[in-house]
Amino acid sequence: MLKTINPLVKLALCLGWIAACVAIFDARFQLATILTVALSLILLDRIRPLVVVGLMVPFALFGFGFLTTNLLFREEADFARHVAEQTVFASPAFSAGLTLFLRAIAIGMVSASFALTTDPGAFVRALMAYCRLSPRVGYALFSVLQLVPDLAAEARQVRLARAMKRGRPPRRIPGPGEAAGLLIPVLAFAIRRAGRAAIAMEARGLRVAGARTLTHVPPFRARDFAFALAVVALLSALVALLLSNPA
Amino acid sequence: MLDAPRTREKEATAAFDQVAVSYPYEKDPAVGPVSLAVRAGERVLLLGPSGCGKSTLLLALTGLIPKTIPGEVAGTIRLSGEPVDSRDPAGWADHVAHFFQDADQTLCGMRVEDEIAFALENRALPEAEIATRVTAAMRLVGLPEDWRTRRTMTLSGGEKQLVALAATLVQEAPLFVADEPTAHLAPEAASRLHRLLVDTDPERAVLIVDHRLDGLITSVDRVIMLGGDGRILAEGPPRAVFRQMQAELAERGIWMPLASGLDAELAKAGIAPEMAPLTLDEIFSALDARKVGPEQLPKARAVVSAFVDRRLPAQPVSSREALARLEDADCAPFMGPVVLHGVTMEIRAGEVLGILGRNGAGKSTLAACLAGVSRPKRGRRTGPLGGIAFQKPESQFTEGSVLDELMAALPRLAGKEEKEAQAQAILARWGLAELSRRHPYELSQGQKRRLALAALTATDRWPFLVLDEPLAGLDARGAAQVEADIERLRQAGRAVALVTHDMDFALKLCGRSVLVAEGGILVEGPTRELLADGDLLARAGLQPPSIMPALRWLERTAPC
Repeated sequence: MLKTINPLVKLALCLGWIAACVAIFDARFQLATILTVALSLILLDRIRPLVVVGLMVPFALFGFGFLTTNLLFREEADFARHVAEQTVFASPAFSAGLTLFLRAIAIGMVSASFALTTDPGAFVRALMAYCRLSPRVGYALFSVLQLVPDLAAEARQVRLARAMKRGRPPRRIPGPGEAAGLLIPVLAFAIRRAGRAAIAMEARGLRVAGARTLTHVPPFRARDFAFALAVVALLSALVALLLSNPA
Repeated sequence: MLDAPRTREKEATAAFDQVAVSYPYEKDPAVGPVSLAVRAGERVLLLGPSGCGKSTLLLALTGLIPKTIPGEVAGTIRLSGEPVDSRDPAGWADHVAHFFQDADQTLCGMRVEDEIAFALENRALPEAEIATRVTAAMRLVGLPEDWRTRRTMTLSGGEKQLVALAATLVQEAPLFVADEPTAHLAPEAASRLHRLLVDTDPERAVLIVDHRLDGLITSVDRVIMLGGDGRILAEGPPRAVFRQMQAELAERGIWMPLASGLDAELAKAGIAPEMAPLTLDEIFSALDARKVGPEQLPKARAVVSAFVDRRLPAQPVSSREALARLEDADCAPFMGPVVLHGVTMEIRAGEVLGILGRNGAGKSTLAACLAGVSRPKRGRRTGPLGGIAFQKPESQFTEGSVLDELMAALPRLAGKEEKEAQAQAILARWGLAELSRRHPYELSQGQKRRLALAALTATDRWPFLVLDEPLAGLDARGAAQVEADIERLRQAGRAVALVTHDMDFALKLCGRSVLVAEGGILVEGPTRELLADGDLLARAGLQPPSIMPALRWLERTAPC
């Protein structure tokens, strides 16, 4: 269902919700955001729960950095004592760290939900049609958006080639050494891919200026407004609930 | 020149006048100087050994070199009489439709219907007209309706080529330039593409680079041959060029139609058809029409029989032990969904196994699963890992130079000097010695393919190899080298699985084949039997090999 929503409506809502995540420093709100996004992806867009959990992993790793930084450096000398007394999890630093940790996941999940449910082509078309984004910039942005899955596909191909040279099938998830080794070939691919995309677009007549037709522009429909209203209502309700029950 | 070159005529759709193209830091031009012209309605085939600069010449046509790709162009290029540098490359899109050698260079990664509409959007055509023309182009090329919303990057190599064809045909430009459009296409799709290029608009000029000549050559008006030095070697009507230059073209490793080889052998026996043939059917029609007498028929049969024998598998189907085996396996691309169900097959020591099927049938997936680099989702695979030459040779390169790439493939035990000497010898064998210091990515497509294959076959660490479209982008010399190496491996008791769309190549090398279709293996058996079964081939979306008319003629004229 999220896939059918106009990309600009979705973008505005995601940006609004991210702003709320930044403004409201409350672990309960961040947790509610994570749950709302996860449930929306699973129930409305039929995305497998395992995929949704997998999405959280990189953001959790990032957020874990906030948590440990708060715990290790705010308490400084008292840290050892806290550990000894096993009260570290009740400390204000832990609470702040936990909120930051959850906020990283929440913001990541909101962003990922946009990326996961939005066709890059439709998004760029909407930007060009409604925001007067120039086609040159629009299609450059499009190429960047497309590059992410293409890089993943290329990385898979390189991993297969290397696995063959090594003499054993690749693991499902690359180890740190293997991942680091992929950096240069994938970067080289990204440069080549960008060059090829530029040639492809130029050869088929994409110019800096001049009129051009835009087809398949995502329209604004009643369901977009209904969806926006529902999201705003949910966000308002959550904020109101938190205000009425301070932590 | 075998025909007066039609350059410098005012009505030329495209004209190169003493054009030479050089890349930065290279002292010799990559191609040229050449002078050639293509007129409205003319179909010109550009041939030459790999690395002779064919693709470079096409990139200079609309100014992509030097305006987008760094390089220097000497001489003059005109499109419909206008100097090419008078517009940006994008400004020629309504005049030239460019089908690049690599489909990723034609496509931008959009959904199929957006990809096809892109050039028309850039020309600011009305939306309704764009929709009509997109639908028409999809029907023309035979793209299924349910592909409309598929992203082009999720398609197989051959499927991408079909979309790229639709995206360029839809431009309805007066000049269609195609660089190896059939390199990854199954025979049926290649024939359709050839028909589309030459039949759809009699006024359209076509300049095409292709190695698969059978099926295309009869529609070509003129052939231009480039030599290894990037200069024009011969130019003229195909019949004259292929008959008169046969020996020289063979020596230089330039592809020729199958019929030219037989024509040359019949000529040696003094029984060649009067008119130079382009197809085997033409040869046999001429022999039949001449009503070859009882004294000449055995002579003709002996020549044809020897010609055919060299193109049939020399070895019987191997009955040696299996090196690797898939049992009731569901095969999927790495991290992708299952595309082949319940596959049971094996590869045996000392055999060359063909893996044949239409575009998108799942051949590459099966190849990766058989080689063991991709695990089956269900069922099991037994046996050691095999080496695999991927469809995109670039994926295999990890080193900074051609020489290093090959040295890295050689066994670790060898000393550095010994290793380098060995690597240089292998590079010389594959015609890459002069490129040893280049970065692998700087090579032409054909050269990249040769390097990937040379590195893979240089070592005996794998008991069997899987070669995915090894002939794509190769010239005749490169193909002969691949063939020789496959035979060398087979004789050494190793095995090779060959994923190919070239049915003649499969027939010649593969004692046994599997046909991949309908989400699994349709049938497995001796290649000669499979490729003689018309109904089976139609079901698998394949076509009989080009040599078939010769086999039928031999059967027809067999003494009672």
